[in-house]
Amino acid sequence: MTTKDFDVIILGGGITGAGTQRDCAMRGLRTLLIERSDIATGATGRNHGLLHSGARYAVNDAESAEECIRENMILRKIASHCIDETDGLFITLPEDDLAYQQTFVEACRKAGINAEIIDPKLAVRLDPAVNPALTGAVRVPDGSVDPFRLCAANMLDAKLHDGQVRLHTEVTGFIREGDTILGVRTRNLQTGETEEFRAPVTVNACGIWGHHIASLAGVNIGMYPAKGALLVFSHRVNQMVINRCRKPSNADILVPGDTVCIIGTTSTHIPFEECDNVAVTPDEVNLLITEGSKLAPSLSSTRILRAYAGVRPLVSADDDPTGRNISRGIVCLDHEKRDGLKGFITITGGKLMTYRLMAEMATDVVCRKLNVNKTCETAHKPLPGSEERSYEQVARRIWETPSMAQKAAASRMGTSVSRIGKLDRYDNALVCECEEVSVGEVNDAIERMEVSSLTDLRRRTRIGMGTCQGEFCACRAAGLLAKARNCVEKERSDLADFLQERWKGNFPIGWGDTLREAEYTQWIYKHVLGL
Amino acid sequence: MKLQEYTESRHNFEECMKCTVCTAYCPVLQVNPLYPGPKQAGPDGERLRLKDPWFFNYALKYCMNCKRCEVACPSGVRVADLIQSARIRYDHTKPKLRDRILASTDLMGKLTRPVAPVVNGVTGLKIAKSAMDAMLKIDHRRTFPKYSGRSFEAWLRSHEKEQAAFPKQVAYFHGCYVNYNHPDLGKDLVKVLNALGVGVQLLDHEKCCGIAMITNGMSEQATRHAVHNIAVLKKAVVDKGLTVVTTSSSCTLTLREEYPNLLGVDNSAVHDSLLMATRYIYERLEAGAKFRFRTDFHKKIAYHVPCHMERLGWSIFSERLLRMIPGVEFTLLDSACCGIAGTYGFKKENYEASQAVGEPLFEQIRSVNPDIVACDCETCKWQIEMSTGYSVINPISILAQALAE
Amino acid sequence: MRFDTVIIGGGLAGLVSGISLQQAGQQTAIISTGQNALHFFSGSFESMQEVPKRTLDLFAGAGIRVHYNPGVRLTPLGTFREAALSLEDTSLFPTPRFADKILIVSFAGYLDFFTSFLAEGLEKQGMSCRICVLNLPELEKLEQGPSEVRSVQIARTMDRIWEKVVQEIRALLRDEDTVILPQVFGLQDISVPGRIRQGVPARVVFAGTMPPSVPGIRTQMLLKQRLRVLGGTYLMGDEATRANIVDGKVHSIVTRNLGSHCLEADNFILATGSYFSKGLKTNPFSIFEPVFGLDVEYDEDRNRWYDPAFANDQPYMNYGVRTDAALHGLHKGKPIGNLFVAGSILGNTRPDLGSGAGLAIRSAQVAVDQILSL
Repeated sequence: MTTKDFDVIILGGGITGAGTQRDCAMRGLRTLLIERSDIATGATGRNHGLLHSGARYAVNDAESAEECIRENMILRKIASHCIDETDGLFITLPEDDLAYQQTFVEACRKAGINAEIIDPKLAVRLDPAVNPALTGAVRVPDGSVDPFRLCAANMLDAKLHDGQVRLHTEVTGFIREGDTILGVRTRNLQTGETEEFRAPVTVNACGIWGHHIASLAGVNIGMYPAKGALLVFSHRVNQMVINRCRKPSNADILVPGDTVCIIGTTSTHIPFEECDNVAVTPDEVNLLITEGSKLAPSLSSTRILRAYAGVRPLVSADDDPTGRNISRGIVCLDHEKRDGLKGFITITGGKLMTYRLMAEMATDVVCRKLNVNKTCETAHKPLPGSEERSYEQVARRIWETPSMAQKAAASRMGTSVSRIGKLDRYDNALVCECEEVSVGEVNDAIERMEVSSLTDLRRRTRIGMGTCQGEFCACRAAGLLAKARNCVEKERSDLADFLQERWKGNFPIGWGDTLREAEYTQWIYKHVLGL
Repeated sequence: MKLQEYTESRHNFEECMKCTVCTAYCPVLQVNPLYPGPKQAGPDGERLRLKDPWFFNYALKYCMNCKRCEVACPSGVRVADLIQSARIRYDHTKPKLRDRILASTDLMGKLTRPVAPVVNGVTGLKIAKSAMDAMLKIDHRRTFPKYSGRSFEAWLRSHEKEQAAFPKQVAYFHGCYVNYNHPDLGKDLVKVLNALGVGVQLLDHEKCCGIAMITNGMSEQATRHAVHNIAVLKKAVVDKGLTVVTTSSSCTLTLREEYPNLLGVDNSAVHDSLLMATRYIYERLEAGAKFRFRTDFHKKIAYHVPCHMERLGWSIFSERLLRMIPGVEFTLLDSACCGIAGTYGFKKENYEASQAVGEPLFEQIRSVNPDIVACDCETCKWQIEMSTGYSVINPISILAQALAE
Repeated sequence: MRFDTVIIGGGLAGLVSGISLQQAGQQTAIISTGQNALHFFSGSFESMQEVPKRTLDLFAGAGIRVHYNPGVRLTPLGTFREAALSLEDTSLFPTPRFADKILIVSFAGYLDFFTSFLAEGLEKQGMSCRICVLNLPELEKLEQGPSEVRSVQIARTMDRIWEKVVQEIRALLRDEDTVILPQVFGLQDISVPGRIRQGVPARVVFAGTMPPSVPGIRTQMLLKQRLRVLGGTYLMGDEATRANIVDGKVHSIVTRNLGSHCLEADNFILATGSYFSKGLKTNPFSIFEPVFGLDVEYDEDRNRWYDPAFANDQPYMNYGVRTDAALHGLHKGKPIGNLFVAGSILGNTRPDLGSGAGLAIRSAQVAVDQILSL
């Protein structure tokens, strides 16, 4: 067994963990991030991808609202290649109380959110997808954010600052001396290899799984797993985020993200045992379609691509069974102060929007413990890829007349696209035709971004996220991965796993064109290709 | 409707199963590597364009709008409509002078008619061809359609009274080609219909259907023409209860399909009453009308299905009529694009591609070695005649030749 | 317009029906919504353990070269599946170990031929493999387009330059007894695969690629040509939208392109395939047959349509249109006397007829026999 020393070990490869590693690394610490699965596999990758303006929280939770709008403005600057500045609408429907609009707008203004009441007719002109029956509309600075890209960019930057990463590695226990955590014992879930890592501070950033990690360390955090289900529609129906202007409820946000749009969400309390395998029920699907069609009527006749669910890492505050009245506030626990356990802190609660702030708070605690006196720079240093704000300019600088695939690459990679800018013609061949992902982009991800499976590759490049759900690209990408990793046998089972993972999200909404596609995929892989 | 009872999307792009069958049948893709192909340009590109119009790719201009992708698609995706409507929505570059000239088929006809012999002489001259090639990028190797001295409209107007005497009446959307270049086809139609006891009327001033404007980035002009033509057609169909017949498959497709699908001009009031003349004639014969054919008409005829005829799905009517003529040895050519695609092949930058697309068809014609190539499209006619030397005749004119006097 | 028989669906079942009926002197029309499942053909006709002579005759008449040799075929991912009847260019082996030393040849930039999977699968069976990638200048033009180094596009080039490929292979061969090539030969010229086999001094095995399938497209073209030569009508790109039923019999079919001009016939065959080709349509509440509204056998609880494991048999794929013993389509439990159902739209409701290509061919022949005996 090997042992390695670091200044800080971060547990959890979601956005909070990745952000914390980046912050720590930028402050000069020797960092290690450990993730049981892949990046962004928990709540990070299983939400709307909404760049909240904070408006949704303004009435009930002013603190969260203020955090959101501050971080919203920061992310636009530091993570521009992950963000689409679409703006958002809060619409009032005939069955909603229009009086709420006033309360809402006032609360927004108090929180520093630029909320502007507009003519409902203007709202329909701005986004023709909006339910034309609306009686009121407020425009807010919402947007969409690609959580996979954001997470990957944070991790990449940490690596550029000498951070180390262990993916697919499980924490089996803590190295503990008396009341001090000295490090962790791990097992690689792919190779079975066990290792020990030591650091004076360990940060628990495991989202809902932080509950389990804390109990391994011998402390208890009262977490409250709340499942939220969402549906992905197969193209962008709306151009702006559409919210309901009422007290937050089920399925009242429709977010246009990349080439799709996403309706969500629900909220159901689930036991911890189910967190690893959440399924979307037919009732949830019905509810999402019904409520979603009120925001944008065309959803009732738009092809659905998949259904998925995530688990919010809420920290219980009261006994509300819906989980909605718990503050989305950030919880940063120094277990030395709270439980007398030294060298261990937990950062949880919060949300995708406030990950950077959470990371800053956690890193501040880490630095205090290590007596490091460095200020946080993450609020103004752009992430790799976001050094320039306009991907259009980036693309034009590299290619005189960029092809659609080159444009798509620029929109995903931002300035990092220059890495694949001068590749040869073979690298320009498309792997994924739905999302226009080229060989060059796939190979770049394989080389630089800790890819060990097709599913990992999907999170980093969007292969298989389009309409065909990996029908054609999975096999091509498997070929590339097999070549790069020299592991054909593993790729064979990887391919089967990938198709299984895609099917998991398809069958809950398996009708119409989605079922046609599924049948076709079955036919190709079973009968033609002989998988 | 119940939620999700059915799903729909613009030109059915969400029905695309990504099977890539369309790319296997795209004639342009086979010869022009700059064209991204129907799948990428159509349903794949549509999702990206909905994300950001910046994803619009100017290489979509290489699409000939032959619609073979739509005919091949197992899922009913209107691939070519997706491509053309993307061009209409996102390509705001001003059409070049050359493209405007090529697209303005009726204006050109009007301007040249009084001086037709001169124009025909000039466009046939080597020096004029070189000049057009250099200045306008109209390929010098092209043969130009000849202009006629007297328009078809003028001719038919002079026969108005005798046509009105027939017990049954149809209106005829003759199109620019019959009016300005080849009035004989119109006269042949009148002869054939008269033989069935049907008189032919003009519409109350039709305009060019606008097909060339659509493909040349002049959709606003095309829409104006569409609105005008639909109004004119309504007068014939709704007010007078007439069927409107046509002799050009491309005009027909434009009036019936492109108006609503690409230009958003509602044609539902006239759609079902707009028929290719071959279909109208076939239906008259089915209803009991009879032709008297010559007994000395012996021809080997190879029938080429124009792309737009294939898309209309009406080639069976032309085919059946030709097979009906005694003494005809009939061959149905494999359905393949001739490469001209309206004004596409006239452009210097497309000449090579255009000829390469058509080569398999030309080869087939040469091997059949017919007396006549039959075809319902005027631009296919120019292309095939120029490229093979075989004479290409509209089925209506063949019928007219085969009728007993 | 009137025919003896109108066939809805232009895939294998429809074409086999049409050709057989034309041969028997009938006038038939096939309505086909675009191209069909033959474009995704594996090269082997599934569930054809026994092959009637009339099937072999039909293929021979169309110029389609098949061979019958019960054993296994090599899949594009290097596994083996049972097969008996195949196109000539899809090799059949008595056992998976069919060679000692193999040379696998592909082309630079071609992502849809899975050489490493093939090699790994074959090595598992005890054969040794060497992979060679040819760099052909003739393919460079294709490489300018990002999605053009695909099977059909390569096949068009190969029809012209296959002799050069043979020369390259001869130069590459060391002591290998077998050469594996992708199935990108003979799209237009059917003789090419055979001539490659003659030109290469080793056994040549053509392995499948990612669809579209070149041998499949060729098969479709040949069957369609055969139908045309026999005088049949193939309405490509049209779609049957509804049927006119009079006194329990189909009177005529309405199509999208022909509108008011109905297609009349004495008999009708429904061979529109399953979900992919919209022979069966689904929404969250039902599975239905859209043209005639025939009875469909399926579970009304949508949750039971699927197995959560992708690799398992999927219940929805077994559902199909209900028929009587003579394959008459049932409407509200009653057979429609002049409507026969053939092909994969039957799902697994008639396991006695097999599945896949076997089901298509057998059910087409049942329908044809019924029609001709009337």
